[in-house]
Amino acid sequence: MEPVLDVVWPKSPLGTQSRRPAPRLDSLRGKRIAFAWDYLFRGDELFPVLAKELTERFEGVEIVNYDVFGNLHGPNELELVNGLPDALAMHRIDGVVSGNGC
Amino acid sequence: MLRVSVACEAAGVPTVSLVCEGFERQAAATGRGLGFDRLPLAVLKGHVDAQGYDEMVASFVEHTLAQVVDGLTVAIADDGETNVEPSALDTAVRGTLDEVHHEFATRGWSDGLAIIPPTRGRVESYLAVTGHDPWRILGTARPSGRDVTVWSLAVNAVMAGCRPEQFPVLLALADVLLDPHYGAQHSGNTTGSDALIVLDGPVVDDLGFNHGAGALRDGAGAPNTVVARWFRLVLRNIFGFTNDEHDKGTFGNSSRVVLAEDMGALADIGWAPLSADFGVIPGVDSVTVARMNGGLIVGSVVGSTPEQIVPYLADSLARVTGWELTHVYGLGQGQYSPLLILSPVLARVFARAGWSKADVQTALFEHARIPAWRFETLIGEWSNLTAGRRTLVDLAAEGVVPAVFAESNDPKRLVPIVTSPEKFRIAVSGDPNRTNAYVFSNDGTHGNWTSKPIDRSYSTDLVCSIENKGACS
Repeated sequence: MEPVLDVVWPKSPLGTQSRRPAPRLDSLRGKRIAFAWDYLFRGDELFPVLAKELTERFEGVEIVNYDVFGNLHGPNELELVNGLPDALAMHRIDGVVSGNGC
Repeated sequence: MLRVSVACEAAGVPTVSLVCEGFERQAAATGRGLGFDRLPLAVLKGHVDAQGYDEMVASFVEHTLAQVVDGLTVAIADDGETNVEPSALDTAVRGTLDEVHHEFATRGWSDGLAIIPPTRGRVESYLAVTGHDPWRILGTARPSGRDVTVWSLAVNAVMAGCRPEQFPVLLALADVLLDPHYGAQHSGNTTGSDALIVLDGPVVDDLGFNHGAGALRDGAGAPNTVVARWFRLVLRNIFGFTNDEHDKGTFGNSSRVVLAEDMGALADIGWAPLSADFGVIPGVDSVTVARMNGGLIVGSVVGSTPEQIVPYLADSLARVTGWELTHVYGLGQGQYSPLLILSPVLARVFARAGWSKADVQTALFEHARIPAWRFETLIGEWSNLTAGRRTLVDLAAEGVVPAVFAESNDPKRLVPIVTSPEKFRIAVSGDPNRTNAYVFSNDGTHGNWTSKPIDRSYSTDLVCSIENKGACS
């Protein structure tokens, strides 16, 4: 008779605490929306389109462009991403559109 | 970009992340691993790089724009699901050898090759030899968010067929994976590079790693093969790099066996091993890891002097380099650092003429050059990885590449492929009497060169029984 084996799990427990996402906005009207870009995949062409569409559709919306935050996927990724909370507060950002993961 | 969104959400600012079609699962898994489940995505249909401008904009406005607005304004539902996972000592699979193999392969827990079934007893015996506390948490795996525990490393070591005396090497490799400088979270990038592990120090010979003929061949050295297999299993099972989660390699690379340097040859010629480039004192056991896109054999090198053999070696480094120039500038900055592996007989040609490694690096910097137009086209026009299509002259004026890249405006001028001579890495391995070399192009910031020392001393951590986790805290 072939032996039966009791084998353990090769993964490990999730060590990251689950957190609630930030509250969503009631509307984009009058809000400051930031773009956060990884300087890849045509964000320099898409974000201006998005800025135009949001500005036309939502009264008083203000766009804070990606160059304010720098290349968030480049050699300074760690430093810039760690600095985002301060940068968001400094620029009074209400919401962020980040991209592009392709 | 989920990492960016997570940083914003943690700061209390709602986000929506733009991803191309096909990235939804990876994005969701990355958010989950960082503690934020179900973050909103806005999906770009197809791939923007394969679309004309009008097509891309029309698709964006029609399909993606509403998702951007919804992502910022529609509340995220909590579906109340809780995923119950086994604990470390639970039986995850019960069955015969064939059934265990089948279950592990089906559930994505193995690479499909036969494994040593990690029974609790076998893992306990393995760790008892090393003396390590199984419940010590070495860090958090990115992007999966899983704890990297000594126990989990040992389970995968058993599966891969690693011997207990190899465990210190594995712990040093875990240190590499946990070092933010290495950037393990990029290990599933679409271009699909894979790690090359280089082993230095007395450990090479003490543990029987192969550094001779077939140094990079599967199975030519058992330790070289199983340690590299373990590395891949850990990326799969603990760091989350499977096709349904974080691995987005379009093609991927096969796993590479550990490259052990020929410590005897290095000692003979008075050269330090590769790890010395990264601060490890020669003579100290170490692992050095970088992710590599591809390699190229440099066959039948002819010449009895450095001057005769440098042009061919340099030409090979230039030929193995294409898209990777984006790590000189683009995706990275000054992070392109390719590897030249010399067989011992070729290394001796340099040493006999009194050349140090630094001399070889300087000569490679002078000879491994390509036309400026080609460099600019690769990082700008063909790959669209340099915003604004700036020239090397522009980049030198901004101070982001050295002046040597902008000695004139002539597009046919020859420019280096790295930012400084020491960026060329050199290792010595392979059949000692064959005049062949090998070159690897590294993947820059997606797996930066990182060295860690290996501590082979017996651990005194195991002060508690495996049944008594609390006593180990």
